[in-house]
Amino acid sequence: MSLEVIRNKKPPRLRKIKFNLPEVIKFKLDNNLQVYFIQKSTLPLLSMSLVTEAGSKYDPAGKKGLTNLLAMAVDEGAGDYDSLQLSDQFEILGASFSISCDQDSVYFSLQVLKDEFERGLELFSTILIDSHLYEADLSREKRKIKTRILQTSDEADEIANEVFEYKLFGNNNPYAYPTIGYSDDIDSISLQDIKDFYNHFIVPENSFLVVTGDYETESLKNILNKYFRTWSRSSITKPRITDADIEQPGLYIIDKKDSVQSEIRTGLISYKRNDYDFYARSILNLILGGQFSSRLNLNLREHKGFTYGVYSRFIYLMSSAYLFVSTSVSSENTGAALTEIFKEIKKIRNGITKKELEFAKSSLIRKFPSSFESYRQIASNVIGQIIHTMPEDYFETYIDEIKKVTRERIIKAAEDNLFPDKLTTVIVGSKEKTAAQLKDIYQGEIIELDEKGSSLQSL
Amino acid sequence: MDLLNIEYEKYKLKNGLEVILHKDDNLPLVAVNLWYRVGSANEKQGGTGMAHLFEHMMFQGSENIPKEMHFKYIQEAGGSLNGSTNFDRTNYYEKLPSNFLELALWLESDRMGFFLQALTQEKLDNQKSVVINERLERYDNQPYGLAWEILLSNLYPLYHPYSWPTIGLIDDISRFTLDEVSAFFKRYYSPSNASVTVAGNFDEKFVKENIEKYFSEIPDSIERVEINSSSVKLESEKLITREENVQLERIYLAWSSEKAYGNDDAALDILADILSGSKNSRLYKNLVYEKELAQDVSAYHYSGKLAGHFMIIATVKKEKSPDTIKDEIFKELGMIEKNGITERELKKTKNNIRSGFIFSLQNLDAMANQLNYYNYFLNEPNSFNYDLNRYNMVTIDKIKSVTNDYFSKPYIELRVKPKK
Repeated sequence: MSLEVIRNKKPPRLRKIKFNLPEVIKFKLDNNLQVYFIQKSTLPLLSMSLVTEAGSKYDPAGKKGLTNLLAMAVDEGAGDYDSLQLSDQFEILGASFSISCDQDSVYFSLQVLKDEFERGLELFSTILIDSHLYEADLSREKRKIKTRILQTSDEADEIANEVFEYKLFGNNNPYAYPTIGYSDDIDSISLQDIKDFYNHFIVPENSFLVVTGDYETESLKNILNKYFRTWSRSSITKPRITDADIEQPGLYIIDKKDSVQSEIRTGLISYKRNDYDFYARSILNLILGGQFSSRLNLNLREHKGFTYGVYSRFIYLMSSAYLFVSTSVSSENTGAALTEIFKEIKKIRNGITKKELEFAKSSLIRKFPSSFESYRQIASNVIGQIIHTMPEDYFETYIDEIKKVTRERIIKAAEDNLFPDKLTTVIVGSKEKTAAQLKDIYQGEIIELDEKGSSLQSL
Repeated sequence: MDLLNIEYEKYKLKNGLEVILHKDDNLPLVAVNLWYRVGSANEKQGGTGMAHLFEHMMFQGSENIPKEMHFKYIQEAGGSLNGSTNFDRTNYYEKLPSNFLELALWLESDRMGFFLQALTQEKLDNQKSVVINERLERYDNQPYGLAWEILLSNLYPLYHPYSWPTIGLIDDISRFTLDEVSAFFKRYYSPSNASVTVAGNFDEKFVKENIEKYFSEIPDSIERVEINSSSVKLESEKLITREENVQLERIYLAWSSEKAYGNDDAALDILADILSGSKNSRLYKNLVYEKELAQDVSAYHYSGKLAGHFMIIATVKKEKSPDTIKDEIFKELGMIEKNGITERELKKTKNNIRSGFIFSLQNLDAMANQLNYYNYFLNEPNSFNYDLNRYNMVTIDKIKSVTNDYFSKPYIELRVKPKK
């Protein structure tokens, strides 16, 4: 049965594969909570995420870190259970339950075996309906967060990420501030602030629920209604988030003595996900720095050996977006690496080759099915679609839309989104080892910042 | 239905390559996963980091695959790929649409059989530089980043193969020559030192024919080198202190423990979870939740082919005492040794392990890797139930006895302190 082996030619692919998109069933609960349900019965488990638009963008001035503190405190006791008892109840189910938050939303996530789903759901809903929010628990979580903030000042990569967003958005924009907040602000957050935020924002009208798993639709509806029924608080008015319009291009350095590498972040504000040709930008980014074989990574890693890796992406927020390029390079190559990054961003405005376009399209189109593999991946795709108000038929049309992108559209996307002279760049590393290199390659002013992003001096 | 009874087929090619096939038609995807039975434990003092550097070199092309094209071919097909190295093995894997299975077999067989033809000094120099940057980024430039290698080099005897870090020392990495890379390939990268697992949506006849086609002509080399590993027995306690640019002190306690699938392996895994795996775990509850002495605490059991170690790590909050933390840790261990743990604690950990097994079945690449893992350690890919059963058999008495056996022995203590 031995077949002849041909090694010097790439083997062909077999017939086209069939991929069926998971169907999203939508319904509303009695309390008006919108539910998206994806039935999947390959394994006896369910994965559930409640997304509430209560992110750190709503943290008031002087109380940065409020949302994160709530996310930490909200499951420190609810209903009949104190903090440890509540956790114990989840643990005995073998369930994984977590709460996280970012600039736009708070996420409550549960993954649990089917047999334990109802009990998991009951506990989950108790946290939404009847969280204790006691002073003692809040104080403990505050101390934990403040220690964590102290620790981040050791971490060059964290400092770089935080200060980059701070300089990019400017201090009038709520996206400029780290979700974890500032120590002084955290001290000034009161129990009443937390309770008000919980009552005001963590409400059905401001949330949606995505469930993936092995359940029958009608039964799911009934069981969700059973446990979420009493979760209803008055609807809310949210403060308006202004679009980012302040740009602070420039080169900033934060001195971290004894660093052996420099963390580099560069980028600029861009259009929201659904406000500009999303498909052209996806392809543009894929070629620039979106995967291993991108221009940036082949240049900086595979040719120059400056870094373990470099990537770029468009970060999409609900009310803004930005291009983000990130890498970590050895101190002695900081200037040279930055020059190459600038060069690649500039160069791609001149266009891409036909081959690059074909490669990018092939990659995105053929990768599509594998982004629906795990229960959580499916949920996270649906969440992205909703948060960024992508069209109803977004998944159905995705492949065709990618196919339609032309090289002209890519050039236009580059010209409209990438401005080499408007880049905000933050370096965290040894000033002693890198300052001279940076002066050599950068015409403008170089400003030294402290770890929070405040200006210290011009270099 | 027995979810964890995984159907598979296993056979060997004439050159010794082991093949494991597992069919799963849920999605039009296929995962290809190769294990080479070589890791940093096959290195020697003065030549550390070779196995990992070599893993990098395997992505640099082979006779029929130009540099950069390995990644490009897989990504063009919509696949994802990577490799990893640890003490005991090196793996390479890709997951791609099932109609591109042959592409993966072609690429993997080309580097298994025809790697040397494309090896150049330029590629080696480039990847040395990449790997040194990897080391700087992940270890040297991270707070507490060197703690791990300090602990290993003190816990294991000087010539024990687990006494150096897999990433290697910078001096060693920079010194490797082209000849050494070739020799490493010839010694360890032969078909009979590897297993290939294919999991997912495939036609059985097609996959077998193509594995035969691409892999069977690769000759087997006969060199076989056994690792000499002395037993690990710490004679006396040792305290190491180190100053770093950190805000908070961190205390590490390390004991030598049990190798993978040894008699006490499962009980030590469970003990680690009882100590720090949840909010109600003994050390978390005591140190982080109630007394707020530590910002975090973790207990961790690593078991490899040759040996194992157990570590407890805590970050000391400002103005709190590391000595008190250490006392509390030993107090908790002493209490477990004396009174055992509760039925509920044991049940929670077992439930957690069981759902972890089921959750892990969601990903084809994780499945393919697990089949190779069990094959390597147990010579039986379908060992999910066996493995889970090991945990289910652990009793409270067993937890008491391992606590007594391992934690009354000498240990290494490392304290990383803020620079004054």
